[in-house]
Amino acid sequence: MIMNKKVEIKIDDTAYLVNEGENILSFCKTVGIDIPALCYNEALKPYGACRLCVVEVKKGGNVRPGITASCTLKASEGLEIITQTEEIHQHRKILFQLYLAQAPDSQVIHKLAEKYGVNETPFPPKRKENDNLGNECVLCGQCVRVCNEIIEKGVIHYIGRGYYVSINTAYNMPSDICMGCKACAEVCPTGAIQFEDIGDTRHGHSWSETKIPLKQCSICGAYYAPQPFDEKILGKMNPEIEKKLTEMCPVCRRKYMSKKQTAIKENRFSILNLK
Amino acid sequence: MVGKEKNKIISHKQLQDVAGKGLLSLQPPEKIRIAVGYATCGIAAGADAVYQAFEDFIRKEQLTDEIILTKTGCFGFCKQEPFVNVVYPGKPLVIYYNVAPEEVKKIIEATFQKDVFLEKALCKIEHWNHHTAELDYGKGFEQVPIWNELPYYSHQQKVVMRNAGITNPNSIEEYIAVGGYKSLFKVLKNNLSPDDVIDIITDSGLRGRGGAGFPTGIKWRNTRKENSETKYIICNADEGDPGAYMNRNEMESDPHMIIEGMIVGAYAVGASSGYIYIRAEYPLAINRLQRAIEQAREYGLLGNNILGTDFSFDIKITCGAGAFVCGEETALIASLEGEAGRPRVRPPYPSVSGLWQNPTNINNVETWCNVPVIIEKGAEWFKTLGSQNNAGTKVFSLVGNVNKVGLVEVELGTHIETIVCEIGACGIDDNKIKAVQTGGPSGGCIPAHLFDTPVDYDNMKKVGSIMGSGGIVVLDETSCMVDTAKYFLNFSVDESCGKCVPCREGLKHMHEILDRITKGKGKSEDIDLLKVMSDTIKKTSLCGLGQTAPNPVITTLQYFENEYIQHIEEKVCEAKVCRELTSFYIVADKCTGCTLCAKHCPVDAISGQAKYIHVIDQETCISCSSCFNVCPFDAIVKLSGESIDTPENPIPVVKK
Amino acid sequence: MKVEEIDEILKKYSEPTGQTLSILEDIQAREGYLSKELMPVVAKKIGLPLAKLYSVATFYSFFNLQPVGTHIISVCMGTACHVKGATQIFEALLDLLNLEGEGMTENRKFILTTEDKCCTVTQARCFGACSMAPVININEKVYGYVTVQKLPKILKEYGWKGKK
Repeated sequence: MIMNKKVEIKIDDTAYLVNEGENILSFCKTVGIDIPALCYNEALKPYGACRLCVVEVKKGGNVRPGITASCTLKASEGLEIITQTEEIHQHRKILFQLYLAQAPDSQVIHKLAEKYGVNETPFPPKRKENDNLGNECVLCGQCVRVCNEIIEKGVIHYIGRGYYVSINTAYNMPSDICMGCKACAEVCPTGAIQFEDIGDTRHGHSWSETKIPLKQCSICGAYYAPQPFDEKILGKMNPEIEKKLTEMCPVCRRKYMSKKQTAIKENRFSILNLK
Repeated sequence: MVGKEKNKIISHKQLQDVAGKGLLSLQPPEKIRIAVGYATCGIAAGADAVYQAFEDFIRKEQLTDEIILTKTGCFGFCKQEPFVNVVYPGKPLVIYYNVAPEEVKKIIEATFQKDVFLEKALCKIEHWNHHTAELDYGKGFEQVPIWNELPYYSHQQKVVMRNAGITNPNSIEEYIAVGGYKSLFKVLKNNLSPDDVIDIITDSGLRGRGGAGFPTGIKWRNTRKENSETKYIICNADEGDPGAYMNRNEMESDPHMIIEGMIVGAYAVGASSGYIYIRAEYPLAINRLQRAIEQAREYGLLGNNILGTDFSFDIKITCGAGAFVCGEETALIASLEGEAGRPRVRPPYPSVSGLWQNPTNINNVETWCNVPVIIEKGAEWFKTLGSQNNAGTKVFSLVGNVNKVGLVEVELGTHIETIVCEIGACGIDDNKIKAVQTGGPSGGCIPAHLFDTPVDYDNMKKVGSIMGSGGIVVLDETSCMVDTAKYFLNFSVDESCGKCVPCREGLKHMHEILDRITKGKGKSEDIDLLKVMSDTIKKTSLCGLGQTAPNPVITTLQYFENEYIQHIEEKVCEAKVCRELTSFYIVADKCTGCTLCAKHCPVDAISGQAKYIHVIDQETCISCSSCFNVCPFDAIVKLSGESIDTPENPIPVVKK
Repeated sequence: MKVEEIDEILKKYSEPTGQTLSILEDIQAREGYLSKELMPVVAKKIGLPLAKLYSVATFYSFFNLQPVGTHIISVCMGTACHVKGATQIFEALLDLLNLEGEGMTENRKFILTTEDKCCTVTQARCFGACSMAPVININEKVYGYVTVQKLPKILKEYGWKGKK
């Protein structure tokens, strides 16, 4: 935001002074107003897929009064919204019932639904045998967006459309461009994305058993970082960094740096002679 | 066709010269003109064979110096295709219907005698108002009714379809001969500023013809006021409502009016590039538009420095690939950008940030079609048509269980009754009409007792439906309303992009419930659950597809709840459509033992030999209707919730 | 399809990433379908990750990701046709061609091809020929007022030799 113009908005009959254009869902979270959301991420553009963040617009905001996703609302002078109404509760109830059916094996969803008073669902579960996401995925799209828009690799994407849409690598084949950065797993709200480090390989169980080689520490021999990711980071770093450091795992790096500092303090460079 | 040297049109006189050329082919002074209807309907009905027959006859009899044979678009009465219209200089234009190749000779012979082949003459035109021009065809042929004396056309007002079925869609000269592209001179060379043009469109009251009915002038203004070097306009030709094909006809019969409308629009909003997004299932429309664009370019009506002014604009065609959701603005934009058609959050609206984040104005095909006429005849004229806040005409596709099926153009505000009964001549086989479904999968059913409702944006909403893009499907007593709702929901489930939960998950579960109901497995709590789900999906879906998909369910529940209750509690489908609730029986005293039914049964459920009364085994029968459809003696009955006595085993037919 | 042919298609388009649909449509027009071998090559040339290109191809019903038969028979399942018995036509067609099976592909399209690769049967949304419902389309030729009885005659036009 170039201008820091403040505007007055009302949420649940309480007035707030907010930066013009500020995201309403984001603002609500910062002031502790409870609005559930699964597909919203500060690092990504508002996506509008989960629909849990709906609120009622009473007036203002250049939108029609009525039910709207708060992740798409921006603060403007005179905006008035309500976050808890009978209608919103009813909608959330149905939505959570749909979520329980959609991700029947997700403990995260069960807990979240429970928090909003929904413990069971009249709808049959969507359970796929050998589902690559363990029947815990809510198709919020964060993994796809992170990989394509932020990491800019595009290892995974949606496949198909409608009820049976899924998320995986192309042709459900292991990827040869995945860097193993696990940004997808980081953003996943239900923890459905599984990676496992076994020996010298990071296994992307959710992404068609994509395998990423892990880099080995030159000092202790531990496997500590996915190689392609490591290369990418190194490519962006100051080329004058001491080369030794780039071959060490974080633990050994810390030990080395601390020894180095001691050496500098005490003028004892010989201790830097590391095997 | 040999490419001719064409001069770019700069002056009005040059336009008139081209018009003159066009008029020579449209109304040849000394030749007979025969035009065969060549839109998709006509072709499917056999126009090719008819055209071939004319060509062969003309060649054989060496009449090429006396007859011009050409093609034209669709006059709207699709059920009666193939159409042929014939002009003898000085005589009225005669429209022949349902023409067979064998009748070609008779038509030509009658025409040479300045007469009419009465048997197949549908109507005549003595004077035609193209709105951008008027043409006289001479008087005569008293035995033939004038076109709008026919009940089918009596309430129709051809504004959008002003040239369809009269001019040759492949000829820009004929389009110009009937006043085409005149509006460009008014707009580009008459000191009309873009804002002036927007004022005219706003004053006219034109509303988006794609279904939402948003005031076009306001939409244009929103794009105009954005400060950007690059702006786009888009023609949404992704006509996806099953049963609606108005846009297809508009593109196939008169492609130039769309182009002319877009040029005016581009000037008004400040765009230099335009796209026409056409669904892949319309190859002929794509072909005609592509040709029309090339012709317009040759005459300098598209491209750099149009009419010698500093306004430049060109159009590209992109095809869809089978996704109904791409009719939604932001999904269409995503598709144009080479992505899957998943709608995007709004705001920002396309007028602010659309195609490649530039201000973009999207309008439906039919909206663009109205623009040249409004510019030419003025906003006040346009407002004389239609009703309050719903100015102008609308093309509807009248299909389903109605007698006269085809495209109908009437003033907005015309009653449903008029369209279905006066124009459409009511139900087929004397069946009682139950309802009409308007607006496709986003619309609702309107029961017969509400047929005095005017058809326009506002009144349709009042009864729970939407006017939509213009599809009107007539349902009679052979239609089951629960099955109809299920059909539309199935469509929406298939076409859902899958991005948001209420639509992706909710519609699917709603469909499952409806499926159970149609199979006799409905539960008493289903109706309430359907109502509650409909409300949530309507209010919380991300885009128009999800927001409107529950409408068929909501309206059928509103007006036909008794059918739902019958299905659930009595396991009866009164219309005898739902297979699991319908049984077939062979009536013993009507059966002649011809064995036809047994031969057609896909599951061998019918036993009996020649001259024996056949019997259907109810356990094996899958209620597919094959036997019912083939029995030549009406000896098979369809029943739901009741049965008749039949012999247990086949017995010999008793001779009467 | 050879690499040169892909380049030929791409030359028509000034900004390849924006014209993904058109490019895929052109390729399918020549090959009948989008093969697993070709897609990575196309992705690379257009400059898109393969997952994204695959996502686009599986989103749109129009694209065939498996080889199709010589003759493509589309049964219109639009409203007007539905009301006039399209389902029966569809089932009769499957029966006559001895086609069985799930028929659903990755992009949730119903498509089945006969063993001898002669015919592929699929469902279509609406051709806009509603006045002649029920309608089927074979290789872009539209047949209207179709009945179950008329099917054998229509199929024979395309080399069908009768039900096995």
